[in-house]
Amino acid sequence: MPKSILFRSLCRLLVVALLAGPMAPAMAGMIGTDRAIAPASSIDQRSTVVAMLERSDVATQLQSQGIDPMAAKARVASMTDAEVASLAGRIDAAPAGAASGWAIAAVVAVVVWYLYFR
Amino acid sequence: MPELRTGRPSARDCSRPGATSGLFAGLFTGPFIEPSDRPLLRGSAGPAPPLQLMLMLMLMLALLLGGCAAVVPQSEALRAHWPDGVADRVELGGVPFFAQDDYQCGPAALATVLAFNGLSVTPDALVPRVYLPGRRGSLQVEMMAAPRRDGLLSVQIAPRLDDLLREVQAGNPVIVLQDYGVWPLPYWHYAVVVGFDRARGLALLRSGSKPRLELPLQVLEYTWKPAGYWAMVVVPPDRIPATATESQWLEAAQALEGVAVPAAARTAYAAALQRWPHSLAGAVGLANVDYRLGRLADAEAVLRAALQRQPDSALLLNNLAQVVSDRGRHDEALRLIDGAIAVPGPFQAAALATRTQILARRSDNTPPLPR
Repeated sequence: MPKSILFRSLCRLLVVALLAGPMAPAMAGMIGTDRAIAPASSIDQRSTVVAMLERSDVATQLQSQGIDPMAAKARVASMTDAEVASLAGRIDAAPAGAASGWAIAAVVAVVVWYLYFR
Repeated sequence: MPELRTGRPSARDCSRPGATSGLFAGLFTGPFIEPSDRPLLRGSAGPAPPLQLMLMLMLMLALLLGGCAAVVPQSEALRAHWPDGVADRVELGGVPFFAQDDYQCGPAALATVLAFNGLSVTPDALVPRVYLPGRRGSLQVEMMAAPRRDGLLSVQIAPRLDDLLREVQAGNPVIVLQDYGVWPLPYWHYAVVVGFDRARGLALLRSGSKPRLELPLQVLEYTWKPAGYWAMVVVPPDRIPATATESQWLEAAQALEGVAVPAAARTAYAAALQRWPHSLAGAVGLANVDYRLGRLADAEAVLRAALQRQPDSALLLNNLAQVVSDRGRHDEALRLIDGAIAVPGPFQAAALATRTQILARRSDNTPPLPR
């Protein structure tokens, strides 16, 4: 399974690189709003490729956390590239607000014990 | 409580009890115990969490943290100096409350602010959008991303307690990420701050199963700090959060543009131009949306107005040249694009490409785009 994900990612990289390569330098027409917000950022074709790969990676990770493929795709679609990048590879570790009452209670009980009966 | 200033400023330092006699009396009659509350320790009959116990610990923490500037610097600073322009007491009574199911504080907190924004939504409906079964929780990124699908903007506010108060005062309930865990086990939790009370040193929250949780500001900070003081507000596109900076708002607008209908992003850029009339990115964003919508005359007007303020912007010149060329005035477009090419910088290559395209159009005598 990991091998197939890697393989698919590699294929995507190659496909996108082939497609994006020749036409990447300086598109004619309207310059995007992102360049106005952060003119200094080097938005090159490589980062576009990486962003696309990261998107599919994050969608795959969401699926592995129990989200069905369509929903995962929609959820990734509402993220910005920067948000996708911040998640890529660390969905397992990012804080996930969860706190159920009983879990909190268990911790609280330990703390109370520590504070008063130690 | 003695001030603990020696050693490492860690949570453990300040939560170590010194003289704690008499604390218990305060715990049971403290300000958090409302008459309607459940008994202290519920049996396992119901799914509702025994938050009472948690609240007692929170009060205890507040007492222990008192005067502990190393652990809760922001609330201590607030106690010393209440920020200018912030009222003494605010409560957004109109913010609805959704009791959370197990682990689903993310959907509950999000439903709270979305419903406050006028959407008819329930936590259950948001579960497929922000809940992650494998993690039994919701990620911050997804909390930010989800409101965009409804045409609302999410803005992560600065990690400052006074900014949080200002947002609440401006009528924006604030979602905060808290950590109720004890090292080394974090227990992340989303709650919504809906008010505060300076005299009593309290923040008011919709949290878990508590429709109106009174949390001492120190405790809020203590639990909020491990999350890097992460906080977000959700607003409609015509309503810029009180503390948002120009770039924060424009980034949120651009994020919205990628997801929602263009009209929503258009409103957000127009709001930016109203608040920050000199905003270059605001003008470019507004013109780009107009352009995509085929409103070429509007796009031209916005770009011309911006160009009055910044006549040397290669970006504005390039985009205006494109719009003017699309409207069939290729000679005028060429004069504009030559101006853009003359400005050294990152947009020169794009301007040259645009020029080539305009020249080709002129020699083909391309008529104006039919829109």
